[in-house]
Amino acid sequence: MPPKAAKGEYIETDTGNKISRRSHIHGTQHIILGGKTVIQAEAVIRGDLFRSSSSSTSTSSDQNQPAPSAPSVAITVGRYSHISKQAVLRPPSRLHRGVHSFYPLKIGDHVFVGERAVVEAATVGNHVHIGKEAVVGSMAILKDFAVVLDGAVVAPGMVVPSWCVVGGAPARIVGEVGEGYAVEGADGGLARERYRLVGR
Amino acid sequence: MSRPFPYAYLSCPCADTPMPDPSRKRRSRESPQKPNPEQPHPPKVPQGNQEEDEEQEEDQTFDPRSPRSNFSLYPPEQLLYCEDCHQIKCPRCITEEIVCWYCPSCLFETPSSMVRSEGNRCARNCFNCPACTAPLAVTTLENVTGGGSQQGPWVLACGYCMWTTLDIGIKFDKPTNIRTQLFKLTDSSRGRQMSKTFTDLKSPLSTYASIDEQFAASSTESKNGDLAEPAPLDPEAQFAALKNFYKNQIAETSSSPTDPLGPDFGAGFSSPGALNRIMSLYTSSSRLSSLYGGTSKKPKSKPPVMREALTASEGLKTPAPDAEDTIIQRMVSDDCGWDGLASLEQRTFQAPDARFVEDLLPLPVLLRTKRSKRCKSCKHILVKPEFKPQSTRFRIRLIALSYIPLPTLRPLVPGAHGGLPTVSSSSLAPNLDALPPLRTVQLLLTLKNHMFDPVRVTLATPSVTPGRVASKVTILCPQFDIGANSDVWDEALQGTSVGDQRASSRGGGLYEKVAEAGKVWDKGRNWTTVVLEVVPGTLPGGTAGARRRVQQATGADVGGTTTRARGGDGISGDDDDGSDDDALPALDWSGQGQDPGPQPQQLQPDEDVLEIPVFVRMEWDSDNQIDQEQSVGRQNADTVKRELAYWMVLGVGKINPKIV
Repeated sequence: MPPKAAKGEYIETDTGNKISRRSHIHGTQHIILGGKTVIQAEAVIRGDLFRSSSSSTSTSSDQNQPAPSAPSVAITVGRYSHISKQAVLRPPSRLHRGVHSFYPLKIGDHVFVGERAVVEAATVGNHVHIGKEAVVGSMAILKDFAVVLDGAVVAPGMVVPSWCVVGGAPARIVGEVGEGYAVEGADGGLARERYRLVGR
Repeated sequence: MSRPFPYAYLSCPCADTPMPDPSRKRRSRESPQKPNPEQPHPPKVPQGNQEEDEEQEEDQTFDPRSPRSNFSLYPPEQLLYCEDCHQIKCPRCITEEIVCWYCPSCLFETPSSMVRSEGNRCARNCFNCPACTAPLAVTTLENVTGGGSQQGPWVLACGYCMWTTLDIGIKFDKPTNIRTQLFKLTDSSRGRQMSKTFTDLKSPLSTYASIDEQFAASSTESKNGDLAEPAPLDPEAQFAALKNFYKNQIAETSSSPTDPLGPDFGAGFSSPGALNRIMSLYTSSSRLSSLYGGTSKKPKSKPPVMREALTASEGLKTPAPDAEDTIIQRMVSDDCGWDGLASLEQRTFQAPDARFVEDLLPLPVLLRTKRSKRCKSCKHILVKPEFKPQSTRFRIRLIALSYIPLPTLRPLVPGAHGGLPTVSSSSLAPNLDALPPLRTVQLLLTLKNHMFDPVRVTLATPSVTPGRVASKVTILCPQFDIGANSDVWDEALQGTSVGDQRASSRGGGLYEKVAEAGKVWDKGRNWTTVVLEVVPGTLPGGTAGARRRVQQATGADVGGTTTRARGGDGISGDDDDGSDDDALPALDWSGQGQDPGPQPQQLQPDEDVLEIPVFVRMEWDSDNQIDQEQSVGRQNADTVKRELAYWMVLGVGKINPKIV
């Protein structure tokens, strides 16, 4: 990795994350990046939407909530994941017993989030591809190797099984990816290449 | 799912199998166990222009625009490879076997015995919205107050379109076993229904099994109380009655015990009476009239003809005389309106007499399967996934990418880094969606070898792409080697030799390198990059300047007089392709583009897509390095010469209709 000029577009952290200076990251102390993660310009990552004890106790004081550990994690992103321009990552939320509370958003390794996509999933597995301008609704679960086509709207709470391709609004399973999906260098396996090229 | 440019598709040779001249077409498949190192078809060509010669020898260039090629082109990761046949296997050359059934929503496995008895729908809490097909969630109604102790009645709610089961007046007592609860509720409580149009009973043999069986849970009670029949059956019971009835009918009338459809399909599908009737239509026309006449009334003696259900207990459902009127009146009433009617899409998944939004019932989620795959010709297992639905691992997975080099195409950007195939991000890269015609584009084609043996590759391409848009293609180095996919650590530990090579190549990327004929562009441990020079052709119906230039350059008859050409300009000159297509009739959607027809100026659909057919032939010495390779082909020594040849199609981009 050739050393970049001091004022490049991307800040590279010790673990190899490349984060655009023009990205909007809120609540950084509640975000965990696994390393070699790329966050492009104007991506919005809402780490400030974490589950807080105050919001839950204010409305339902009688319930003793599980005490949140000191730095509650809002968003976890794995290695070699790529957050494209203007994508939005928001922790999912749910109205549970009259209390609106946020839940952590976990994103696996080698995940691609396309431009202007909005992700509110509960879990995004490894090698998941989310197309551009797709919307992944609150508390959805995308298993490993799932593919969300461009412009798809994954309904809240939907589960996309592994190897399945979903598309449309609301998203339905429209097909499956081949067995060779996510082989390094082939379709779905370009995460390392993508990472290498960023910031050059 | 079309891919963004550039892409590379591989052609499975199975599409050519029924070709009349197999001796010639054999070349597009593999000749696996050729012990003779002398190939019958040497890739070297005596003349200078290798590509053209190759084309003539092949005598059948793969045409990406041919309608057939639609069915043989696959992205490389979808292809499998059979080690016994030594062939690429596409989804058409395999058979599938179901490993397990699972619900895509709750990801629980359903035993196949249960699938057979209960149908292929999730028996738990998984439902799809009948209005929009999004998954439904079980939610409580006592949400708002926050009183945690009392568990209110439960409903199914759609998070996408906000439909709930309250819309059809259904609540559940407990949040588990919704399917059985729903069945009980709909079984008895839906007598309030007004609509009833069970028209499909006219031909029960053809329809009832497919519609009613699938939507067993959905049932609507009709209120035709004015009939003198015993209580009219709800669709569930009606289906059971009909099934029972026809099973008996088959047992009584079936003359041949060796019915090919047999008991596997259940009674509904194997109606020998229906089969006899259909067969007799074709065999003897004399019987036809008698059968048609006698079907409903009296069964003929010679072929025992099945009679249809006659009473309600047998499953016959007679709509009430005023059923249609009731529906129409309900349609015109103010409280129904357009929004109250179920759309056609919604009705396809519902019981046949569901006409209104209130009739829509939640749909239990259809199960999905995990499947193992076998080679169709040799029954070798190619893919065998783990049994558990959640697992993404495979016990056996013979994908083509493990055997054939992975092709990657990218534009050659001056001054960019050499190296592995990359997604170009530079702004210097040509816009592949609007390639300027007649301007040379250089592309880097990287082939990455995943085998543990070094491979010798020969590429061939027609010098001019097939079709009307003649783009010139030159592979600067059509013959090269790719290194073996050895362990990465080997390379690191070997140090000098490979490292030098790499360093040179790395260095080569830094300064501006010029593509030279006969030399590979770059080379790594198990990959090699060569340069393609492409001159995109001009589109028919482009600007007048373009046409003139083409006529000057090639002397080709692009067609038409000047006035006609000007007319074409008026339509297509300043517009984009879409409006061009819309404006002109008689499009050739076959994708051939060969015969211009009455309007030669007209751009056919996708004719502006620049796709290059490339014939790949790879040879390698398969020795006893790994077990995979020594399955069959070992003859005498420890090495076996192997050869594999196939066509691939490189999608470069779209040609700009205008010359810039």
